[in-house]
Amino acid sequence: MSEAYFPVGPGLGLEESFLSLDDILMSQEKLPGRAETRLPRLGFALGQGTGAGDAITEGSKLEFPLWLAKGLHDSKRRIISVQLPNIYKEAWRTVLSADASVVDLHKMGPYYYGFGSQLLNFDNPENPEIAQAILQTFISRFRRIMDSSQNAYNEDTSALVARLDELERALFQAGQKELNDFQSWEKGQASQITASNLVQNYGKRKFTEVDG
Amino acid sequence: MEPAEVEFLAEKELVTIVPNFSLDRIHLIGGDLGPFNPGLPVEVPVWLAISLKQRQKCRVIAPEWMDVGKLEEIRDQERKEDTFTRMPSPYYMELTKLLLNYASDNIPKADEIRTLVKDTWDTRIAKLRLSADSFVRQQEVHAKLDNLTLMEINTTGTFLTQALDHMYKLRTNLQPGETAHSQDF
Repeated sequence: MSEAYFPVGPGLGLEESFLSLDDILMSQEKLPGRAETRLPRLGFALGQGTGAGDAITEGSKLEFPLWLAKGLHDSKRRIISVQLPNIYKEAWRTVLSADASVVDLHKMGPYYYGFGSQLLNFDNPENPEIAQAILQTFISRFRRIMDSSQNAYNEDTSALVARLDELERALFQAGQKELNDFQSWEKGQASQITASNLVQNYGKRKFTEVDG
Repeated sequence: MEPAEVEFLAEKELVTIVPNFSLDRIHLIGGDLGPFNPGLPVEVPVWLAISLKQRQKCRVIAPEWMDVGKLEEIRDQERKEDTFTRMPSPYYMELTKLLLNYASDNIPKADEIRTLVKDTWDTRIAKLRLSADSFVRQQEVHAKLDNLTLMEINTTGTFLTQALDHMYKLRTNLQPGETAHSQDF
C-alpha cells in the first residue's frame, strides 16, 4: 500500500513467469552441456569462434544459457544434451539433506530454487529426486530465515543474507518489513506523519533544472 | 496491513470514561454516544476517549482485564498451554498501548501492566513461530489459528503466506505432467 512498485514474483515451476525480473535474470544462468549435432552459425551466439557463420561441431562441450538450452532441447531430435550443475547432483543433494542451512546457496547459483525447477524441463531421469531435494532444502532452511528476519532489528543484516539465494532474500525482506513496521508502531513512530517516498524523491531533481 | 491500520480498527472498541462536562446525546454515523453528565460513567469508543482525555475532559476507567492480577493469570496460563489461549480482548495489545500512552495516570500500576502484556505477547509470538515451523516441516495443508489476534497475525502474515506460496509451487514440481502450462497475466 505504501509502495509504488510491486515486483512480480518468480514463477518457480516448469514455466518461468514472463513478467518477473528475477526469472529473466535467472534464465541467463549457464548450464553445462554438449552439442549432439552440428550447430550451424551458433558459434557466435555462444561465444565460440569469431565469424558470424561459424558452426559448432558435434560433440563439443558448451555452456548454454538456460533460455537457449530450453529452446534447443528436444527429446526426439537430440540437438543438445544437458548436464546437471553440481549443486543439483547427487553429491550435493546428500549435503543438502544432511544440513541445508549451512550451505551457501547464493554462491552455488543465486537462483537455486527457480533454476532447479527449470531443470525439470530436461527429462532427466533424476527429476523426482531433484524436485524432492529442492523442496526439502526450502523446508529445512525455512526456520532459520524466519527467525533471523524477524529478530534482526536495527542491525547489519548483510551477514545474515549472504548465504541466502534470491528467493530467500525476498522472503527475508518481507519478514524484515513486518518487524520494522511493528517496532516503529510500538515506539509510536507510526503515528507521526511523514512525507511519502514518492514526494521525497521528486524533490531531488526538478524538471526545470534538467531543461535548463 | 500496517500496524497503524490495525490500531485504527482497535480504536472502535468501547471503554468506559467518567466525563467532567455535560453534553446531550451526540449522533454519529457509527451510532449515538452519550449523554455525558459529570461524574456518570459512560461507554465511548477509544478514539473519543483519548481525544477527551487529551483535553482533560474525562477520566478513563481501565477495562476490567487491565489489572495486574488478571494479567498475571493470563500470562501464566499462556505459558502453561501449548495452544493459544483466549485473550480478554481481540485488541489487547493495541488497547494497552493506546490507553497506557494517553491515560496512564488513570490506570493503576501502568508499568507492571505494560510488562505483563509484553510478556504475554512474546510468549504468543514464540508459539506462533514454533507452530509455523512445524507446519512447514510436516508439510501440512491447513492449520487452525484460534484465538490469534489481528496484530499477531499481522506480524508474520506476509512472510508466512509468501513462504507457503513458494512451498506450494515447489511441491507441484513433484508431480510432473499434472502442472497446467498456463500463466496468469
